[in-house]
Amino acid sequence: MTDQALIIQFQNGDSKEGAFTQLLNRHREQVFFQIKKMVLEHSDADDIAQTVWIKVWNKLDGFKQESAFSTWLFRVAYNETLNFIAQKKRLKTHSTQNELDHTLDHPSSQDALKETEIQIKLERAIAELPEKQRFVFMLRYYEAFDYEKIASITGTTVGGAKANYHQAVKKMTTILEHA
Amino acid sequence: MNKMNNTENESISKELEEALKSFESKTKQVPAGYFVQFDLALMEKIKAEGQAPQKARIVSLLSNQKKYLVAASLLFAIVTGSLLMNKTENTSAPIAKATIIDIETLPDELIEAYVNNNELVAEVDWNSAIEAAGNNLTSINN
Repeated sequence: MTDQALIIQFQNGDSKEGAFTQLLNRHREQVFFQIKKMVLEHSDADDIAQTVWIKVWNKLDGFKQESAFSTWLFRVAYNETLNFIAQKKRLKTHSTQNELDHTLDHPSSQDALKETEIQIKLERAIAELPEKQRFVFMLRYYEAFDYEKIASITGTTVGGAKANYHQAVKKMTTILEHA
Repeated sequence: MNKMNNTENESISKELEEALKSFESKTKQVPAGYFVQFDLALMEKIKAEGQAPQKARIVSLLSNQKKYLVAASLLFAIVTGSLLMNKTENTSAPIAKATIIDIETLPDELIEAYVNNNELVAEVDWNSAIEAAGNNLTSINN
């Protein structure tokens, strides 16, 4: 059954929970990992993903299928992630940064030092990217979404999405070169 | 893993690619059975939300009539205000007008005559008073 058919089933109220569970099973991992790549912390990603799916449950009745379900779903995830990051910034308790600082100070072993350093530098570079750039990069690099879809998710133009992607690559390359 | 198979990848250095691969495998680490638990927790939350008693909306008894009340109050204030203003104008204007008109319209001769008459009256009064006082004194002396 397609996403569209499941949405119609949900909207008609026929086995609402069944239709929703199928949509959830289909997309939950992709959404969760996208969120986790943005916030890095598992518990944070878990909280955001729960909120996203609760929103989907509450708003799916009004979804007009003018875009693909996955586009709409990722847009919800994008907005929720940005809200979360903004809230966390306000609280000034960026656990990712703290965790990275902690890891940098206490490397697990000498052998893994080089690899860890590169990894930490990359994570720091990712964390330093503006949120939109980061989200665009992850969608393009890991999910291979086309730019039209990415633009629709992040509310930008195709050109803007392309620019975000290339800027992210450039920034990460520069940081790694100086690692 | 990178799913892109186009020239975009060429702009990504080998080192960055390796780091990104490692980053992905790190982010994909989740506790065993995590997604099963995720589903259960989510559905529980959704059900709990659905069963939770909806917070009763506090509806003011006058909420519907509020705008009419405000409009009526404004209208009352305007009408009362204008009535009071008119009343003040009506009561104060005639006096002021009458005073002005009387003075303006009185012919000079009339005013002069009035002053002269009053002077005479005043003189007569004074004279009679002095006369009376003199009489009193003479009667006491006698």
